[in-house]
Amino acid sequence: MDKTTDITKKETKNIEKTHELYETAPAVDIYENENEILLHADMPGVLKENINVDIDNGTLSISGIRKLKIKGTPTYEEFTDVEYVRNFSVPQTIDVEKVEAELKDGVLRLHLPKSEAAKPRQIEIKTA
Amino acid sequence: MFTRMSDIDRMFGAMDLLRNKVDRIFGDFDRSYLYGPAFAATNSPRTNLLENGDRFEVQAEVPGISKDNLDIKIQGNYLEISGKRQIDIPEGYKIHRNERGTAAFSRSFTLPDDVDSEKVEATIKDGILYLSLPKSETAKPRQITIN
Repeated sequence: MDKTTDITKKETKNIEKTHELYETAPAVDIYENENEILLHADMPGVLKENINVDIDNGTLSISGIRKLKIKGTPTYEEFTDVEYVRNFSVPQTIDVEKVEAELKDGVLRLHLPKSEAAKPRQIEIKTA
Repeated sequence: MFTRMSDIDRMFGAMDLLRNKVDRIFGDFDRSYLYGPAFAATNSPRTNLLENGDRFEVQAEVPGISKDNLDIKIQGNYLEISGKRQIDIPEGYKIHRNERGTAAFSRSFTLPDDVDSEKVEATIKDGILYLSLPKSETAKPRQITIN
């Protein structure tokens, strides 16, 4: 009997743990020109070390964990520790090797350059 | 008999689980703003106020806002944070998605106590504004020695 109680109690504990951090989607802007796709995402409070950017099989996933330093007792709070998660489908024409990411003022900026083959090409008309 | 007891116990365990889940739903019901995207709902920074003995700590989400675009005013126990969020669309780019809005905002707070406006410190780090507001001398907690 004791064993079964242990099992159920552990289950409850695990549920608490996985839900400790809320997942939310960051607001993003997406721009495109002939050479690259630009992605800007708001992730205030996330440190560089805690950001993950993965491109796998046509899916770009960004995630970042925010851990705020709590100095004192909260009198009121409107935001809290959170995990920013968002996935995008990216075209296969993205040059994965050359993807660059920078983080400034809590905004993640991703540069996704297009591969040479995907760039628009001006065709010159030859006169005969 | 003993096996039956364990069945009952397991059943109650499952009920406890359900109860915890339901508790959680209602506990967070009116607090969904706590973990929504930054800056989206109201177009003004969300703010935390912490109290730490002789000072208040204020945290505000200001992603992509430089310090030149932020204004902080303090008078007595009145605090005002205003500013402007400017989203610069890069030249020559086509817009696919635009969720981050340009907005001017102003929020004012009445702090629980007066603060010493001379000693207020403000820093911006990773898109979060940290304000450290020491309470004024009269509002500070004082140790009283018993004679």
